[in-house]
Amino acid sequence: MTATLSAPPTVAAKPRPKSRFWAMFAMPGVGWLVAFFVVSVYAVMAVAFGTVDPVLRTAVPAWNPLQWDFTAMRAVLDRIFGGDLGTVFIRTVGFVAASLAGCILIGYPVAYFVARKASKHRGLLLILLVLPFWISYLMRMLAWTNLLQVDGMVNDILRFLHLQSEPRNWLDGSASTVIWGLVYGYVPFFILPLYSTLERIDGRLIEAGRDLGASAAQTFFRVTLPLSVPGLMAASVITILPMFGDYYTNTYLTSGSPKTEMIGNQIENYLLGTSQPQTGAALVLVLMAFLFVLMAYYLVVTIRQQRMAER
Amino acid sequence: MTTSRRDFLARSVQLGALLGVGVPLLQACGGDSSSGGQKTQTIADGLKPEKGPLRIFNYDSYVNPDVIADFEAQYGVKVEITTFTTDTEAVTKLASKAIQADVYHSMASTTIDRLIAGGVIQPLNKTYLTNFPNVLESLQDPWYDKGSAYSVPYVYFGTGIGYRADRIDPAQVEKDGWNTLWNATDFKGQVSVLDDEREALIMAMMRKGLFDVNTTDQKVIDQALADLTELIDLVNVKVNIDGYKNIPEGTTTIAHTWSADLINAYAGYLPEGTDASVLGFWHPPAGEYLVSNDSMGVVGGCEHPVLAHLYLNFMLDNAVAEKNFSYVGYLPALTALDADYVIGKGYVPENLRACVPTKEDITKALFEKPLGVEGDAKYEAAWSKFTSGA
Repeated sequence: MTATLSAPPTVAAKPRPKSRFWAMFAMPGVGWLVAFFVVSVYAVMAVAFGTVDPVLRTAVPAWNPLQWDFTAMRAVLDRIFGGDLGTVFIRTVGFVAASLAGCILIGYPVAYFVARKASKHRGLLLILLVLPFWISYLMRMLAWTNLLQVDGMVNDILRFLHLQSEPRNWLDGSASTVIWGLVYGYVPFFILPLYSTLERIDGRLIEAGRDLGASAAQTFFRVTLPLSVPGLMAASVITILPMFGDYYTNTYLTSGSPKTEMIGNQIENYLLGTSQPQTGAALVLVLMAFLFVLMAYYLVVTIRQQRMAER
Repeated sequence: MTTSRRDFLARSVQLGALLGVGVPLLQACGGDSSSGGQKTQTIADGLKPEKGPLRIFNYDSYVNPDVIADFEAQYGVKVEITTFTTDTEAVTKLASKAIQADVYHSMASTTIDRLIAGGVIQPLNKTYLTNFPNVLESLQDPWYDKGSAYSVPYVYFGTGIGYRADRIDPAQVEKDGWNTLWNATDFKGQVSVLDDEREALIMAMMRKGLFDVNTTDQKVIDQALADLTELIDLVNVKVNIDGYKNIPEGTTTIAHTWSADLINAYAGYLPEGTDASVLGFWHPPAGEYLVSNDSMGVVGGCEHPVLAHLYLNFMLDNAVAEKNFSYVGYLPALTALDADYVIGKGYVPENLRACVPTKEDITKALFEKPLGVEGDAKYEAAWSKFTSGA
């Protein structure tokens, strides 16, 4: 006896009318983005490619792209590629890279502990992580200026612990103070997205690694770390985007030392303190373009990982 | 998901439509900050004051709240204060009408000609300003506003060196003058210059004996920039306007600063138990001394111009000005409040007498004057290079 399997009769699926109901849920977000991102960016472009009122020295935005004047942008690019602004850009990239490294070194172990080891204390630890957000960033930086003074508490503690013999002037305009300030200010932003990724890693995969003979370290480097890369990427992006535009950390912690000037300081100076707002707006666009490249890289990596996971 | 060429074109058209609608929309909403060169009219004599509220546009903490309360009580109106952080920001907001103010409280002398030309401030009707004769004689007809037609002086101050007299010998500062900043290698990280391109570059010029403070000579500006840049490595110089608190707190030992900052330091920032003798101020002799003043004006086309005039007059009253000085620490530009008076009243200690410019200082003073677009651009470019630390 042979049995033949025949394909089930196919039912011609009627195309269902596309419901616009769920699409409507995206409207507030789209409206928000148009109002506060697209229009804002266009306004910055209109200022960057506009002119300046000859009498009042205020920006005269060029809303019509046909009237755009690229003089300020060319001057800014010349100064970035071979001029003084290049130094500021390189310094800013250096500060942000060092600060990101600090965030990883401090933030990863904390996020890992809270996500995988804290068990019943997880809720409390998460509250403690969010606690700094209750106080304004500027207030926290101002507090540090007191703690870091020559006769401040930081020097007192370091001398008490015999880690230094003479008090150090931390606020004398050194790069390390700015970097630590950035790490301190932004590390909570780094920990939270990383925590959510680490917390979702399937524990059975880690157990499988151990069952197959890998040591704890090998399991971490071959299982946990690769699986946490999306979280690391997201945390890095969330952290470095505001760091690149930061200007107040440097202003507060070094009282305006030229040795620690960041690109945000130059933007602030040109937009608020000079008669060349178009130069400030051009700098904003250059910084945005640079960050867009980083963002695009992040998106490409994320999409690739999603595709690999779907296979 | 893939995007077809047709989808792409459709979206491009949608984006084009958005921009097509958006551009005129932005033009409509953006306001017109261009000057247009219009001038505003003065108000007639003998008008009744409006019911308010009087809207004041000012730097933060640059007027005594008690004085404002006194004005409210005297005229039965409310006063609303909106603050700004820089002169540029203030002019931009007033010109674009983003701020509806009646009184522009603290105009820099170098911008007043532009504010007049742009119609941002209106001509004053002096019949409302009965206290105007109280103003220092030398500022009743100032260089920036002939006959004080559009403005009345608010406060005045000079530029010099504020220092810690317990760490550096006043006689040495007197001897070295501006070189004090370049010689301060023992105080690395404790030296600052004013965060103001004109002030800082002029200071470097005066150190070299150049007293044309309104020069636009590129060579002179470049040399001043080079000299200022030396300070970065020599003394790890800071750039800020915080001398009023950093000197008394001890984080700064030598600061290129304004005279009023030391009065402020004495009045509000000396740590408890610290004697005023730790503060010192030096300025160049009359004829080489840079003196500045801020002025008050009535905003062109404002809602409450009569009330605004009455406010200006109120602030020129000797008793009111004294009360205001006790809070802001910047000397009112009034004859009655001279050095002897403010020292006698205890507002200024004797060792800071130099913080009150004398009649001779003002008569022979050097003033920063407008330089035009190109002149300002030269100073701004030099300043950007200096602050970049490149």
